[in-house]
Amino acid sequence: MTGTQTPPAAGAAPASLAVGAAPGSTPATAVAITSWSIHLPAPPTSTTTPCSAAPTSPGGRAGATSAPGFGTAVAGLPPVDPACPSDRAHTLLGRKGLLYKEPATRLALCAVHRALGLPDGVRPDATLDARTAVVAASNLGNVGTVIDVTRAVAREGSRGVSPMAAPNASSNVIASSVALWFRLGGPNLMVCSGETAGLDALALGTLLLRAGRADRVLVVGAEPDDETAVAVRRGPAATPPLRAGAACVVLEPAARAAAPLATLTVGPAVRRRADVPPWPAGPRVVVGPGHLDPAAAWGDCYGAQGVLQTALAARLVAEGADGVAVLCGGDDDGWRTALLTPATPTGRQP
Amino acid sequence: MPALIAASSLRTCLGDGARTFAALLNGRTGVRELRHPLAGRLNVTAGYQIDEPAPGAALRAGAWLRECVAEALARAAVDPRRARVVALVGTGLRELAAVEELALTGAATAPSRLHFGPAVRDAAPGLAEVVTIANACSAGGHALALAQDLIDAGEADAVVVGAADTMTASMLAMIGKVAPTPTAQVRPFDRDRTGVLLGEGAAALVVVPEDWTGPAVGRLLATGLSCDAVHETAPDLDGICRAMRDAWARSRRGPEEVDLVVAHGTGTALNDPTECAALLRCLPRPGAPLITAVKGAVGHLSGAAALANLDVALRCLASGMVPPVVGLVHPLPEGDGLTFVRDVRARRGVTLAQVNAFGFGGVNAVTLVEAP
Repeated sequence: MTGTQTPPAAGAAPASLAVGAAPGSTPATAVAITSWSIHLPAPPTSTTTPCSAAPTSPGGRAGATSAPGFGTAVAGLPPVDPACPSDRAHTLLGRKGLLYKEPATRLALCAVHRALGLPDGVRPDATLDARTAVVAASNLGNVGTVIDVTRAVAREGSRGVSPMAAPNASSNVIASSVALWFRLGGPNLMVCSGETAGLDALALGTLLLRAGRADRVLVVGAEPDDETAVAVRRGPAATPPLRAGAACVVLEPAARAAAPLATLTVGPAVRRRADVPPWPAGPRVVVGPGHLDPAAAWGDCYGAQGVLQTALAARLVAEGADGVAVLCGGDDDGWRTALLTPATPTGRQP
Repeated sequence: MPALIAASSLRTCLGDGARTFAALLNGRTGVRELRHPLAGRLNVTAGYQIDEPAPGAALRAGAWLRECVAEALARAAVDPRRARVVALVGTGLRELAAVEELALTGAATAPSRLHFGPAVRDAAPGLAEVVTIANACSAGGHALALAQDLIDAGEADAVVVGAADTMTASMLAMIGKVAPTPTAQVRPFDRDRTGVLLGEGAAALVVVPEDWTGPAVGRLLATGLSCDAVHETAPDLDGICRAMRDAWARSRRGPEEVDLVVAHGTGTALNDPTECAALLRCLPRPGAPLITAVKGAVGHLSGAAALANLDVALRCLASGMVPPVVGLVHPLPEGDGLTFVRDVRARRGVTLAQVNAFGFGGVNAVTLVEAP
């Protein structure tokens, strides 16, 4: 692809991006992105495609595309092939165990499945991996169940409620479902902090690595776009519209990563966009609102957006960009940034 | 590295932290008839609710959280306008009661209010970073673990750890669904326990580095984390033991030093025997530490449960008194060999407390704390 060199944010002066530890503190352990995936189902009007033709992830599956890509509306965005919708998740994940899973949980499982490079249609038969953590980001993942159960109770009392919906009544269902599905016993976090949730999740993922709580972190964002989710978010007239999708970014300590794709640094959160620290000197690609903006082209994945943007940035870096910044957030929840730089050769820190 | 807890603030149905502890010492319970717009349709008849704002009002959890965050920051004398302060909020059910209101009446709520961003920022002017984690019934413990990690990494001068929860109809319906007859009171570790009831409340504490020279109410040694990855809702012995051992390993302290356990103790068929089994397996002298639990008195505070337990643990360390397990009459047989505090308060100086929190999805957080 052709990575557009986007100018820095208005008013920004060349300076170092103030991310990571404060001056005087212990130097932070560098964190590498070692895999990623984007699982963005085609809009409902498009021809349904099986998952085998679908999502992007490193290494490609080039040539597997059977449907036209989308997202070319914004120059410079890499094409993303449409992935299977949540009701076709079994083509990727296998049939067993999906029955009571909500759409966002299914999409999250698909994104992780892809990022781990697992074969289509096969559920992994794994032993417990206590050193891999899961950090999920989603704000609306279980609002569908919450509203359905509430309406059922109001209509016919508790007998109208299926106990099979119980796991979905708990807001951490996406993170715990990923852990259970792939047998990941490390720390398990469900981030739901709104517009910044995706980058918040990546920040917590790097923190877990630095604290020695895990050797690998799967950061996965997922949102649904059913009627309930749209109503809770900001209504059907919102621009950009809410868009169902998921993305996964795999983090490992750079010193131990066998095949790093990029080095990741997540910056602190700020309240207003004007407070975002200046980008580093030199031309940079910026992925985010007002720059190379996947939300403007494809719709907004809300809590998953920061993960999706970072996955795209990892792809741009792997394809040769010398540094890609991610800008994520909004007026409701503030802003956060991340910086991706090329990974140094295997197993060495920059 | 250990960190200090500069201040802790709590709200339960029994009042603030001091009032809650006094009521616990006297064996009082806050259980009352359930007040909820759908009460009568849920097969749940009792709960541990806060009167103000009244049940049915909007965004109650955020109101309590705002109070707790403001109080904790004031007591700690930390000003987010003058220091790098980050807020981590743990919650089980967020403000999903507002989403249920949308289902029932069509009344919409600003989405940022569902995860408490505005509530925390109102209470902490100058604070920009509010990260909310929805980690079920151990959310507060997870937030606490991450707060200590942030302090260790030098990424903040102070971290506000908050937690808040109110009841949702959807979770009440699930509790009602699994109870053959409605539970009258939570009875942790009792052989005749009948299940859990929800409580309401919030908590906030301020975590600072060990070289902090301001006020301090506790020394935070470590929090161990694990995920069972075994079952969607049932607890798992191995997963819980991993969290306990992680806490001890990270603290570089031995399990033989634990002399108080503030247990998760939900009064459910599965949690209490599993928690007993974990303590019996992991503690070298399981009968040595005193074991107490608060949910018979304040209900299950969901995401705020861990921080409520921690506030109680800090008051035990400071006062030399440990409240009885309210609701416990006949200890369950699986607890043979453990020393539950029963009927009346125990007067014993305790120096190192373990606080347990386990949640749906097998998410476990075990915290070790001692006097400052």
